[in-house]
Amino acid sequence: MVQIIITSVEGGPAEWLLVELQGEMVARQNTGLAKNLMGDLHFTNEGVPVLIVGHHILYGKQVKLEKPFAVLVKHTVTPQGSEVAVETDSERLTRYTVSALIKKKLIFKTRPKPIITNVPKKV
Amino acid sequence: MRTLEQVHATVKIAKLKEEELHPTVHCLTFGENVASGDYCLLELDSTLCARIEAGHSLTIRGDKDEHAVLCTESKTYDLRIADTSNLLLFVPGCNTPDQMTGDQTHPQLVHSQISGFSNSYWEVRPRRPKLKKLKKLLMENPYEGPLVRTVEDSDQNSPGYTMGDLLDRIQASEVEIIAQLKNIHACEIDGYWRVLDFDYEMKLLGFVTQLVDSESWSFGRVPLDYCLQELGPLEPKEMIEHCLNCYGRRYIDEGGEVCFALDEEKVCQAMAQMLLQNAVKFNLAEFLEVWQQSVPEGMTTRLDQLRSLALVDRTSRPETISLLRVEDLPEDTQERFNFLFSMREKWSEDDIVPYIRDLCGEKQTTGALLTKYARSSMQNGMKVYNSRRPMST
Repeated sequence: MVQIIITSVEGGPAEWLLVELQGEMVARQNTGLAKNLMGDLHFTNEGVPVLIVGHHILYGKQVKLEKPFAVLVKHTVTPQGSEVAVETDSERLTRYTVSALIKKKLIFKTRPKPIITNVPKKV
Repeated sequence: MRTLEQVHATVKIAKLKEEELHPTVHCLTFGENVASGDYCLLELDSTLCARIEAGHSLTIRGDKDEHAVLCTESKTYDLRIADTSNLLLFVPGCNTPDQMTGDQTHPQLVHSQISGFSNSYWEVRPRRPKLKKLKKLLMENPYEGPLVRTVEDSDQNSPGYTMGDLLDRIQASEVEIIAQLKNIHACEIDGYWRVLDFDYEMKLLGFVTQLVDSESWSFGRVPLDYCLQELGPLEPKEMIEHCLNCYGRRYIDEGGEVCFALDEEKVCQAMAQMLLQNAVKFNLAEFLEVWQQSVPEGMTTRLDQLRSLALVDRTSRPETISLLRVEDLPEDTQERFNFLFSMREKWSEDDIVPYIRDLCGEKQTTGALLTKYARSSMQNGMKVYNSRRPMST
């Protein structure tokens, strides 16, 4: 049997924000998402979150999570200086650390509104 | 890097009104390792959240062919993956307006990185611990007393299981394991947890009850020191005291002496098991007579002491009783019901409840279990339960 430990941080982990979107995110040029701009996040004076992503505007809602999330990071550790070849998964120790807690989310459920630019004037 | 001017330009193009927006804007970019998949989300209840905030750790336990469970020091949860059709992005250091401090009047641009995303998360649900394996492991090498050296002692590397070994093998929290060790009368010998061989346990109990009888003590006041003195020559003192702890309640009397009050129910139950285990079934009337004679003076045997330990058959002539211990039955709920209905087609509520009570989850009743796993009907004016499935007889 396996025992996998999930360790927390003394004093408790930091709080992160969750942004929930419907659908998928795909990078424009198939370069992958990493390091790319996702969008601008605004809040109205009433606290409504507004996301401008590419050519779309999304209006969302801030919701307190009934069940908070812990964000876990997986670490796989191979025993150092082991002379025996690592044959099975059980030789490697898996553990998780809690990076953060998420207690609220911004959820964008409404259909994105397209931003129309360059509306050509009728000649 | 995106600038405030660019952000404001976008706001104009999007036809949003700057004066309706909070001055602080977050520019979200995907972090370098965003697609690495090293992050995952674990849904928490308030207990788990509090433990994590206090800096405590959690443990996942399970064999490759088992469903994993999540344990705190004292509770066990089922762990399942839940998928969502939505995309969940996690963003560190991104404040919502209610959290923003400092200057709220001038426009500000905050660059925030999305560190990861997921469309699934782990769900937790509290469950009863899986403890049946515990007795099974300890029964590999029951303790039969100091004089008996089991063959395994010399063959194996270790004669048993330490608490650490048990935590490595049992899908339960430490507190739940410790409680079960107490239930099965296990004791720690030389650092290893051992369960007593039943005959040896009865031998110890017999010495104690015989001493109580011969000294004409009330079974509510068994002095520890005198007990150890008299019985010490026969069995190890730790074992005598362990027996007293299992079958009695420890207290200090007015004279400051450590005494034990023997538990009538536990002693009667042990005597019943001793009598019933040697036969498939017993004539009920004969059993009741022998049973009463077997218990110490002053103790009264009652059939209701044997709920979840023995089953009475009132349909046979003569009426019979046989050993049926709930701890010997399957641990899985559906398997338990299958087993019970294959033993006996129809059960009264009174008869079946002791054998399903341990299956109840938090806030679940035996009534709810019966509704889900059995079908009820009336027989001779009494409600009886039978299987929902066709059972082969």
